[in-house]
Amino acid sequence: MTDPQLVARAQEGDLPAFEELVKKYQREIYGLAYRLVLDAEEAKDLTQQAFMQAFVHIRGFRQQAQFRTWLFRIAINQCYNYLKNRKKFGDPVDCDEYVLVGEDSPEEELVAQEDHRRLYAALERLPAKQRAVITLKLEQGLSYEEISKVLGGTAGAARVNYCQALKTLKKYMQNEDDYEVAVRPYPKMVTRISRR
Amino acid sequence: MKWRCALIQRWLPAYPDGDLPSFWQAVVRSHLEKCPACREELAGLEAVVSSIKAAPRHEPDQAFWDNFNRELHLKLAQSVPEPPPARGFRIPYYLLGAPALAGLLLWLAFGYLNPERPGMPPQPQLSQEQKALEQTPAIPRLAAPAPAPEKSEAVVMVSQNGQDLHGDDDLDMDGDLDSTLAGMTETEREAFLKKVRQHEKDGSCTRESLIVSWA
Ligand SMILES: [Zn+2]
Repeated sequence: MTDPQLVARAQEGDLPAFEELVKKYQREIYGLAYRLVLDAEEAKDLTQQAFMQAFVHIRGFRQQAQFRTWLFRIAINQCYNYLKNRKKFGDPVDCDEYVLVGEDSPEEELVAQEDHRRLYAALERLPAKQRAVITLKLEQGLSYEEISKVLGGTAGAARVNYCQALKTLKKYMQNEDDYEVAVRPYPKMVTRISRR
Repeated sequence: MKWRCALIQRWLPAYPDGDLPSFWQAVVRSHLEKCPACREELAGLEAVVSSIKAAPRHEPDQAFWDNFNRELHLKLAQSVPEPPPARGFRIPYYLLGAPALAGLLLWLAFGYLNPERPGMPPQPQLSQEQKALEQTPAIPRLAAPAPAPEKSEAVVMVSQNGQDLHGDDDLDMDGDLDSTLAGMTETEREAFLKKVRQHEKDGSCTRESLIVSWA
């Protein structure tokens, strides 16, 4: 069944039809939430909340729009709200879980892992909006037109934001080592163990 | 960095996918051919993109998703889709100010154009003559005295003939009589007042003779 058909049935209150849509998009939404909040457990909660919101407001969804971008928008708003609250309560972001993936890799992968760690640390420093535009463009493969539907504004503005975000990310990755010394005086392993 | 390089590098991240407007795509391409600094910058950006694309995603296993869907199903089963928001002719709240402002402007404009409208103090409409009279002090009535009721016909006739009702070159009607008198010596003042009285007398005689001839 196509998205518009499933959406039409969900709008009639058909829960199994909506759950079809959930299964289709849950990995993308989770991946997006994870990139934005950098926390597996929070990403799971936020993904569930996004689907709940989508179900409650499904009758307000107009079929001319793309269900996928509509869902992205809901998820991103959930993440922004979460990040805003976390910032307010001063809970620092910890992206070490990224490093845990592939912990048992062979020696030659250590260099790649170090590269990834630098990337995640740089992503962490990026403002949430820039992180969102990079994820939507490079990981979800959205066009600037689609990004503008998710984040608001025009396609031209989305392109400007993407260019700015990528340049900033490159700069952060280049000077990440200096930043590490200045901001994180504790060895990585200590943080990692404490999280277990 | 040269200003041209700074301008080019603003757009570099969108260049590899051909996402720039065709004009800029061509400008960036030709600049890259001759600028090693911008080529190096582009290589750095492409390395970042590759690194993002190659980065392992956090992909939970099937057990995670089974649990996820079980939990979500329970939550969804307890919620009901809300009715669609009313669309129709509802004006967004941020547009409500526009009609209000337009109404206010219309009200002000009509207030100025139409003084009869309540709410605006009526502007007294004065003819040129009345305005001139207002600027003129009250004293000149000495030269053109208010006619007695029985003589009003004559005044109308004079007026209809297009003659100036109080035009007399000998008397300075536009001036202030008091100040005129103040600037005179005793003899000058007496001569002046005599002339004024003589003029009054002449005026009434003329009117009376007019009435007689008309009758
Ligand atoms: Zn250059």
